[in-house]
Amino acid sequence: MADNNFRALQSANKGKTYFLLASMGVLTWLVAYAALTYFGQGTTTAIVPLAVGIALIGVWGSYYGSDKLVITMTGAKVIEREDAPELFNLIEEVTLASGLPMPKVAIVQDNAPNAFATGRNPEHALIAFTSRILEVMDRDELQGVIAHEMSHVANRDTLVSAVAATTAGAIAILSDFLTRMMWFGGGRDRDRDNGGNPVALVLSLVVLILAPLAAMLLKSAISRKREALADATAVSFTRNPAGLRRALEVLAADTTVVQQKSNAVAHIWIESPLDGKSVSKLFSTHPPIEERIATLRAMESLGS
Amino acid sequence: MKYIVIAAIALVILFVVAQYNRLVRLNITVDEAFAQIEVQLKRRADLIPNLVETVKGYAKHEQGTFDAVVAARAKATSASTVADVAAADGAVTTALRGLLAVAEAYPDLKASANFLSLQEELSTTENKVSFARQFYNDNVRSLNTAVKTIPTSFFAGIAKVSARDFYEVENAADRNVPNVKF
Repeated sequence: MADNNFRALQSANKGKTYFLLASMGVLTWLVAYAALTYFGQGTTTAIVPLAVGIALIGVWGSYYGSDKLVITMTGAKVIEREDAPELFNLIEEVTLASGLPMPKVAIVQDNAPNAFATGRNPEHALIAFTSRILEVMDRDELQGVIAHEMSHVANRDTLVSAVAATTAGAIAILSDFLTRMMWFGGGRDRDRDNGGNPVALVLSLVVLILAPLAAMLLKSAISRKREALADATAVSFTRNPAGLRRALEVLAADTTVVQQKSNAVAHIWIESPLDGKSVSKLFSTHPPIEERIATLRAMESLGS
Repeated sequence: MKYIVIAAIALVILFVVAQYNRLVRLNITVDEAFAQIEVQLKRRADLIPNLVETVKGYAKHEQGTFDAVVAARAKATSASTVADVAAADGAVTTALRGLLAVAEAYPDLKASANFLSLQEELSTTENKVSFARQFYNDNVRSLNTAVKTIPTSFFAGIAKVSARDFYEVENAADRNVPNVKF
């Protein structure tokens, strides 16, 4: 029974991600269309590729070097088997369950229990743990955490979030360009267009201003779906929802937070390092931890 | 018109190649998954002599338990088919449980550093064996589904791929289901 449940959860979360990514595409198209209406063809054909290009270079550079970049940003130290044989044993167990290659392993010296995974593909994957998580978690709990991180690797979440970040970035740059141009008397094409439909002009203005916000919301929603998907995939690896559930309970009970609260890397940790109360639910990168625990608990009761 | 016919033929060829390759790929994955089970079983077999010696150092009078483990290990190393390997694997697991149960009675043994590190090795290897099994069975499930469902089933004969056996461990604990009396 449990099989059906985590498989159903996996495909539902995948479906939602595709829908959200498609929405991103529609949003980009909408912004381009709004620019076209407002500024005319000349300006738009010049600006849209430029914005997409800037976003692509920025994000894909960090995607390609994600393993190295994140190591520098979080201060993680790559370790070898001799440094933590038990941790390596556990990771090897999960690689056998998932059929993934062995990732690089790193430790972040930090008093908050947390973990993350990165890397552009399974062959260049890196999973990192804070020193604290290794102290507070038992074997089963740690196995659940490792399975969650390896799920991000298996589901290629670095790629998914890179795509999301690129479109969100392109939209932000585009809208920024265009709103600036409006103040500085851009859109000379418009005059030749005989003014155009005033309603369409106002609408496109609204789209241009609201688009970056919508893109941010979509990006956060994608991140939350990927977290839920990783929980379901983790159970498909270990067939032990209780381990991950107890791990999340340990994380929920712990009030310490990873030292560096940089927004840029918040989404990669298993538990969001940003204070849940100051960030509204719509913008948060993770589903509420209580919700994740409840989902896993439901899987447990199906299994036994 | 000519181009449409060429395009249609090309599409059909691509489709056939894709189905054929999918079956072959699934079959290879199952082979690899089985090899992985054997690697882990070998690792476990290599741990056994060391473990038996360590326990013997503290518990000399448990000769029966030692013999059972050694015999199960010998049988496991000679098995080859999926069913045989699975049966021998189950026997080793049961014998090892007996050995660890014996160890429970000797506090000195349980506290020794050598035994503790062996115990960690053994428990991770047991987990690895069971995950390798699970991975193998998942892949057999995908392969068997492909072999039996349309359209891949049409190409199973050409690709010389057929349904494979699941790796089923005869678990002593499962067989002795407690009798419920009312």
